[in-house]
Amino acid sequence: MTNQPSALLQVTSILDGYRMAMAGLNSQGLNWAFDCLSDYFDQVSQAADEGRPLAWINFGIPSEILWAMDLVPVVIEVVNGLLAPTPDAIRYIDLAEEVIPDYVCSSNKLYLGAMLAGELPVPAVMLHPAHPCDSNLATYPVMAETFGYPHFCVDMPYVRSEQGLEYVAGELRRMVAFLEEQTGHRLDPDRLRRVMALSGAAHAHALDLAELRRAVPTPYSSLDNLAEYPLMLCLAGTPQLEDYYSKRLTLTREAVARGDSFMAGAEERIRMAWIYGAPAYDLLFFLRLEQEHGAVAVANMNNNFVMQPVSDTSSLDAMLRGLAHKLTLMPMTRECGGPWDQYLGASIDLCRRFKADAAVFAGHMACKGNWAIIKLVKDRIADELGIPTLVLELDLFDPRVLGSESLMNRFEMFIETLLTK
Amino acid sequence: MSALDELVRNAGALPGPYIEKWKAAGGRVVGYLCSYVPQELLLAAGVLPVRLRAPGCANTMRADIHLSHLNCTMVRACLETVRSGGFEFLDGLVCTNGCDHVRRLYDVLGVTGELPFLYLVTVPHKRGGEAVLDWHAQELARFRTALEEAFGEPITDEGLLEAIGVSNETRSLLGQVYDTRQQDAPPITGAETLQVLLAGFAMPPEPYNRLLRGLLDELGQRQRAPSHRIRLVLAGSGGCDDPAYLDVIEEAGGLIVGDTLCSGSRSFREPVASGGSDPLRDLARAYLERPACANLTDRTAERSELVVQTARACRADGVVYQRMRYCDLWGGQLLHLRPTLQEAGIPLLSLEREYVLGGRGQLITRIEAFIERLEG
Repeated sequence: MTNQPSALLQVTSILDGYRMAMAGLNSQGLNWAFDCLSDYFDQVSQAADEGRPLAWINFGIPSEILWAMDLVPVVIEVVNGLLAPTPDAIRYIDLAEEVIPDYVCSSNKLYLGAMLAGELPVPAVMLHPAHPCDSNLATYPVMAETFGYPHFCVDMPYVRSEQGLEYVAGELRRMVAFLEEQTGHRLDPDRLRRVMALSGAAHAHALDLAELRRAVPTPYSSLDNLAEYPLMLCLAGTPQLEDYYSKRLTLTREAVARGDSFMAGAEERIRMAWIYGAPAYDLLFFLRLEQEHGAVAVANMNNNFVMQPVSDTSSLDAMLRGLAHKLTLMPMTRECGGPWDQYLGASIDLCRRFKADAAVFAGHMACKGNWAIIKLVKDRIADELGIPTLVLELDLFDPRVLGSESLMNRFEMFIETLLTK
Repeated sequence: MSALDELVRNAGALPGPYIEKWKAAGGRVVGYLCSYVPQELLLAAGVLPVRLRAPGCANTMRADIHLSHLNCTMVRACLETVRSGGFEFLDGLVCTNGCDHVRRLYDVLGVTGELPFLYLVTVPHKRGGEAVLDWHAQELARFRTALEEAFGEPITDEGLLEAIGVSNETRSLLGQVYDTRQQDAPPITGAETLQVLLAGFAMPPEPYNRLLRGLLDELGQRQRAPSHRIRLVLAGSGGCDDPAYLDVIEEAGGLIVGDTLCSGSRSFREPVASGGSDPLRDLARAYLERPACANLTDRTAERSELVVQTARACRADGVVYQRMRYCDLWGGQLLHLRPTLQEAGIPLLSLEREYVLGGRGQLITRIEAFIERLEG
């Protein structure tokens, strides 16, 4: 480790920055989300400082198992997403491109570059599922071998099935054995049961909230939607997350009952379903879309948690089976890791449920799998729902490909077309 | 006509004379793109497996209606060739989830219905242990059933064992061809060897094995004065099926004496060991355990080590690591490979390429600079 500022410290600064930028919105829900994330990263930093094992996980791994084993899960995509607006993000990406090709996902490059710079602590372990994409498979295991830390890939069948669930549950069992061996921490089924109860409550609230979020006008801002994604990834199974969702549900029920829009008097002109990603390098872009054009991201793929709470916690096997099911339904893993109709079904469902006027495909350049099917998807969305899809080619973590002003220009042209229809 | 000439004749654009003869006799042909498709099952189904290629297909306008410029040019070229009628001889195509590009090709063709039989063999993303093997054996069982239903031929264990036997013979013969390249003055160049391999991807195994035996006799007689400057091993991603690409390297003086490619030694160095009682499971085990593609996450170090071992066994002066643009898997492997080769004292030239040979001048410059560095 060098004496350079840790990338984790930057993440905390970024959260503070977002909180200040959004102070004028007076969004109580968003502040709760920031509180949760800040507390979470404090835990991560504290664990790093105290030399306790950190488990890097990717967005497909359910965090419940880690929390139940007293391991702090660090969701690498959340770290990357928060680093993306910083000048260091470009430095990390460029560093990574000295050793791997430029066309690898910049989320992976951010992580790699930060490791190369010595500005991320080397994890005790890395865990990731086999889905959703080549870029993850190309970097996570290779980085683990190169930097010398143990890693475990949870293999997943390409097509979902009952048999496949058993296979994934078996993989989670093997992952637990791997974690026990590598960290010395044991999984106590009773502890997991308590964690699952909290996770179940949070997921139940999230499903109720998803129903409420469908309201017209929407009670959630674009950033409210986006902020919940890292929460569920990092904190599923914790009392903090259950508390957040419980409070948020009460707040949102009241708002919907009153017919309140989060826009407080401004007009919700266009409802957009973002069916892939968001420009992490400038999430405040969503504020501009709302304020300048009344265009709200009422739904996004990343916050599309559709799994039911795991009801059977009678045994370790039952809980692992439930978590296996959750894993197959995690956003991104579900949509992008299997046959195209999984992505299509999820996208159409999102647009339909949230009464979207348009879909937005923020086409991350490195996402070659989705780029290969977007023509199929957008044609089907048009056929079934009669709504257009804005297809954007950009890099979600690197503004040099398509910066905010050019991005806004694309939206303005699209919105103009929509409104004149 | 010599055996080598006959093989070269069959190494051009598909379909080639043997496929035409097979089709004329009423035979069915199924294409594949990934070496994890178990050819033995196709053979046991009475079908001729053909590894697809689309040499010279630089214009992919029809393919790009669906695929994007961010997708692999090999996959785009193959889709283009389907759409232009160049693969009309196919009775089907088997894809895998080995990479994002090939699995999405499957999705596109599944929607557009351009081929009569289309199947995706799913491959685990790790070798893992017995549980992963069990899963893969079940997947191959599903594939077997699909082939039986599609082509009407039951695939018996005996038939599968026979297919394994003839394929193993091919593997052994190819291994012997490769062994001749270890001589100080190899009787066959890398480009010629690739043509030998390409021929085998487009003909039934029995005549191919006969030709390989003939080739070995000829190579035993062939004397070549060493004209190369250095010896090289070719490594990296799939899609390296253009002899012209190897010609550029070899004309500059870099003789290719070995490789770790899926279209090369990785697919034949290890036979399918089958005790006979469960050949399907033996097949699953063999495909999972042989030298791995970069889509298997627990074999990173082994892949790099294979390059080192191959370079040493071939007495190579250096390694040329070619990778298709947008191939994440082999692009990522470079992160581990580069320091591994450095530690082993083996020079590396990393080249990014498109499917169709282009930028020939730049390629020559890079190769010549590498050779001069090694000679220096």
